[in-house]
Amino acid sequence: MKPVTVFLPSVALLALAPALSGADAGLSDEQSRFFERKIRPVLVEKCYDCHSASAKKVKGGLVLDTKDGTLQGGDNGPALVPGNIDDSLLIAAIRYGNKDMEMPPKGKLPDSVIADFETWVKMGAPDPRTGPTVADANTASAQWQKKEIDIAAGRSFWAFQPPKPSPTPTVKNTSWPKGDIDRFILARIEEKGLQPVADAGRLELLRRVTFDLTGLPPSPDLIQAYMKDTSPDAFARVVDNLLASERFGEYWGRHWLDVARYGESAGRDANVLYPFAWRYRDWVIDALNRDLPYNEFVKQQVAGDLLPFKDAADQSRKIIATGFLAIGSKPQNERNPRQFALELADEQIDTLSQSVLGITIACARCHDHKFDPIPQKDYYALAGIFLSSETLYGTNRGLQNQNASDLIDLGRESGMPAGFEGISPAQRAQLAGRLEEAKGTQAESFRTAQAARRAGKEADNLRLLALRQQIGTLSGELNRYDESGNPRILAMGVYDRPRPIDSPVFNRGEATQPGTVVPRGFVQVLFHETPPHVARGSGRLELAEWLASRDNPQTARVMVNRMWRWLFGRGIVPTVDNFGAMGEKPSHPELLDHLALRFMDHGWSIKKMVREIVLSRTYQLATLHAPQNFAADPENTLCWRMTSRTVDAESLRDAMLLVSGKLDLYPQEGSVVARASEGREGLFRLFTTLQEPRYDRSVYLPIVRDLVPEALSLFDFANPSLVTGDREATNVPAQSLYLLNNKQVQELSDAFARRVYASAKDQPGRIQFAFWTALGRAPTAEEIRAAYTFFSEYTQDAAKAKSKGSDLTPYAWSAFCQSLMASAEFRHLD
Amino acid sequence: MNMSSDLPLFSRRRILQGTSSGFGYLAFSALSTWAAEQGTAGGASPLAAKAPHFAPRAKRVIFLCMSGGPSHVDTFDYKPKLAADDGKESGRGRGGPATLLAPRFQFKQHGRSGLWISELFPNVANHADDLTLVRSMHTDLPNHPQAFSQMHTGTSQFVRPSLGSWALYGLGTLNENLPGFITINPPAQNGGAKNYGSAFLPAIYQGTKIGAAGFPGGGAGPGRRAAGGQETMSNISNPRYPAEVERTQLDFMQTLNRAKLQREGYDPQIEGVIQSNELAFRMQNVVPQVMDLAKETEATKKLYGLDNSATETFGRQCLMARRFAEAGVRFIEVSFGNWDQHRNLTADLERNCSAIDQPIAGLLTDLKQRGLLKDTLVMWGGEFGRTPHGQSGDGRDHNNKGFTLWMAGGGVKGGLSYGSTDDYGYEAVENKVHIHDWHATILAILGLDHEKLTYRYAGRDFRLTDVYGNVVKEIIA
Repeated sequence: MKPVTVFLPSVALLALAPALSGADAGLSDEQSRFFERKIRPVLVEKCYDCHSASAKKVKGGLVLDTKDGTLQGGDNGPALVPGNIDDSLLIAAIRYGNKDMEMPPKGKLPDSVIADFETWVKMGAPDPRTGPTVADANTASAQWQKKEIDIAAGRSFWAFQPPKPSPTPTVKNTSWPKGDIDRFILARIEEKGLQPVADAGRLELLRRVTFDLTGLPPSPDLIQAYMKDTSPDAFARVVDNLLASERFGEYWGRHWLDVARYGESAGRDANVLYPFAWRYRDWVIDALNRDLPYNEFVKQQVAGDLLPFKDAADQSRKIIATGFLAIGSKPQNERNPRQFALELADEQIDTLSQSVLGITIACARCHDHKFDPIPQKDYYALAGIFLSSETLYGTNRGLQNQNASDLIDLGRESGMPAGFEGISPAQRAQLAGRLEEAKGTQAESFRTAQAARRAGKEADNLRLLALRQQIGTLSGELNRYDESGNPRILAMGVYDRPRPIDSPVFNRGEATQPGTVVPRGFVQVLFHETPPHVARGSGRLELAEWLASRDNPQTARVMVNRMWRWLFGRGIVPTVDNFGAMGEKPSHPELLDHLALRFMDHGWSIKKMVREIVLSRTYQLATLHAPQNFAADPENTLCWRMTSRTVDAESLRDAMLLVSGKLDLYPQEGSVVARASEGREGLFRLFTTLQEPRYDRSVYLPIVRDLVPEALSLFDFANPSLVTGDREATNVPAQSLYLLNNKQVQELSDAFARRVYASAKDQPGRIQFAFWTALGRAPTAEEIRAAYTFFSEYTQDAAKAKSKGSDLTPYAWSAFCQSLMASAEFRHLD
Repeated sequence: MNMSSDLPLFSRRRILQGTSSGFGYLAFSALSTWAAEQGTAGGASPLAAKAPHFAPRAKRVIFLCMSGGPSHVDTFDYKPKLAADDGKESGRGRGGPATLLAPRFQFKQHGRSGLWISELFPNVANHADDLTLVRSMHTDLPNHPQAFSQMHTGTSQFVRPSLGSWALYGLGTLNENLPGFITINPPAQNGGAKNYGSAFLPAIYQGTKIGAAGFPGGGAGPGRRAAGGQETMSNISNPRYPAEVERTQLDFMQTLNRAKLQREGYDPQIEGVIQSNELAFRMQNVVPQVMDLAKETEATKKLYGLDNSATETFGRQCLMARRFAEAGVRFIEVSFGNWDQHRNLTADLERNCSAIDQPIAGLLTDLKQRGLLKDTLVMWGGEFGRTPHGQSGDGRDHNNKGFTLWMAGGGVKGGLSYGSTDDYGYEAVENKVHIHDWHATILAILGLDHEKLTYRYAGRDFRLTDVYGNVVKEIIA
């Protein structure tokens, strides 16, 4: 099949065209919709490459990207005659009726599409496109009508305005508020003629805040000490202790890891491992624990490699922070390097914009953002910054991995642990020898293959592929060690490329369609006026500084809203990762801005902000039901009570480990992923390791994408490939099955039962201990009765089921303890 | 993008977050809107059966997924010219000249429709008049991970919900004592769990895995792993206590939960846990029953080839699929691996096909006998096909430009060959069907408009078919 050009004079048609186009002006909605949905996408997709103003070479003199061009036709005459299928060349061409003119040449359109075109012509070919020519294929792309985005007008949207102070509202019940947060909240509740519910009980509150700040239940010792302390600042002291505990960083670090889509493997086509992702995880935990100011926290993650440093250790930490940009999921097996680079930059832009800015810039990759004032060229201005940076994530080149990269060697002077064991010099030499040997074999196989090809025979390509795989694996393995076989101190991260580049706007986001080049820069709508262009290097440093500055309208606001979400179960803006037009509006805009300003005024301290929120009376409300309030505000957007929340996956697992006395607070350095090493072999080693029970905190479990441990994945763990600021809380039978039947849960129940059994001499004492340990409170009389009933029935049942003579006591206590850990109360926070 | 459907769908995620699977939520005005929109009784759980967009042709799907890319020119795409031109040069080999390799097996016409099917499938061929061969399939990339992921989620570039998850999200399930989307023996490589994951859809729509998957990241290895070992569902049975003992334990737990609920007065989450516990308890009773093939007659077992070591494993899985279908599961996928014949094409194809031919034919016969075939869509195929030119003597390379999938049962015309590849089977040329079109067509058969089945995530409405997909109306009965 080949397109054939036939020449026909088109002078007469030119004269006809205005008359025709005048005839069908003023389209009905239905006509426009038909065109936009059925016709335009096909024209763009199938015809514009050769028949539009933006085509490299317009074929046959025919342009189909304007109404006039379509009617005028090309060298063969008018492409269509409205209302007349038989005289419309376009229809004849797409029907493949004429051997000399079959369009599109690459393959016949589906019959349904041909039928659509016929319908369209019969309708009189209604065509809403105006203007003589359209220069840019993208302008006419897809179904969407292009409107020029008005940036100046866009800036008036609330989220693009800097946070502004509001006077603290006056409230009727002046004795209720403990501080400004409470005044903002109470004012809105009073506006509706409602009252907040009572305060939470002391035990309830202690349990709530201990889980919220550390992801663990309060120990019986802590409970006792707190109940004895009747001073007015007893609760504040508890809060300060929790904030000072390393458990805080482990739990709040995990919150950030949700947002940073933390994972230890590539996650897409070839799920190769990232053995050094854990360094970033540990950096986040440490940053939270030392209360690194949030603006600095962000700045280091985006450009830590470019910041000044005190010493090698400080420099290493800052480089590790940039792991944020390197740990994302990647299509490692993408064969087109340009496509891979664009995917990588896209993933970085998507993560950064949702996590720090709370907007979805990646929506502007293929076209101007449809809802927010972000033109496509802003996306590619940012893309230039990331394309000018080199992302280092490691992995071995192999048959399923076309896109390996280096890692960063931090060196011994960094003082960082390696995370895996070294090998002896002899082993290293042997490894090097195997690599040399493989390379020799490869060279020889190349020669054989070439000879075969010259002789017109088929080369043994499979052998060549196998050798490539082997060499990739061996050199990756060898690179982990220094000359003496000591483990190198490797990290993922980002560096600036020596020569920065600006990115073209890729039409429809397609790597094959580069358009106008745009200078590296930022998102215009987030600036009061036209943003500066990048002056230095990739622009990452300037980007980081802008993200971390008070002038950025969103950075502080998005983070305080996240903190609110993590403490209340719902953000002031419920769509925590999207503040744009398609996100939800803040329930308390003045409070949100107030918090953002306080956050910045207090040195961007996360701990201070958390402290302020949990010391508010609003946080300390009970979860009580109040019918009148519920009728007016069933979703509790007004915060008239504390919302009862599901304990998240990590806290549930950690709490089970803690109450059973099995929790190991001293995790092994690094990650099992690092010890498993890279590649398929690593994945294989890891797969066996993953089956073994683990006792360290959940934040230290290996997070291999698509292989997330069941204990986490069943309980709504964040998808490690997606930015997740607002985890779901589902309730599915698979969770119950896990808690009832899983072997590790039963093992922990046994351990808990042993503790319980040893805690007291008699059954009542043991039941008391079990309830205090698991639920942080004494059992009620009814619960004690239920426990007795259980023990007696259980013994009868089990006696029937088990062989005679065996001691059933341990099983009964284990089942009892398991019931407490699987109970709704254990799984929920009041 | 359908703006008119934004509002009700938008509220759905909030509902799922806020209400678990509890009841008594008519107070939520958003839910009433949603329930009204869905035509379900108010307050239904997110898994409750929902009204489709239009009259469905099939109620459920059994997808026989052949991972690795089975050769179409040796199985279902009859290419006499390829046989005639055996050994002639083809300029299309990877890294050098390659020669055309004639189909390794003979084709014959079958049934009244006269469909051409190779001798590898003598039993399936007896159902020729029930099959629609789509011989003009194509997909974007000739690599396993990408193509496998695209076949399941529509894309290889992003993490997106699986076809089965979309179907379950759109239609709910017919039996809430069972998972609504079950995948038997899914490969752990090529994206693993992602291929039956719900991505941004609520977790309740993800596929439930049955069977020990192979090792992750592993390529196709020979032998047993192709069909997996004995089938199990995670945590479905208690390793320690028999059911009556566990019931006593559960009673105690539920007493605690009800006491808690009473103290709270009103708490949908606690209600949800109580419900879920009961459902789990029923499931652990029901699922093993459905998976237990002991009560099937000898004749049925024989029908699926359970009496033969070559067909036993896949036969068992097909029979299990029928039992799940019968019990009301919406989407059932059964995987069979090892179709990546770069070499040993002849022997491997014989081995694979003889392992699946009898079970598949048995499944079709059995479904028909039970009156289930008329509303069950059965589909067979892999992520791509293979090249007409040979590789390493007796092998074929990956081919994404043209391959064959087939469909049978509810909603499709039988005895039909739709679309075609060129003379050698290299490239789809007539009535091309992209994976997106295939997805759109499957949803249409289930009564779902692929342009309307959307979910709001990260600021926009997502579809299985993204901005693509045309329903292949010609194959729908």
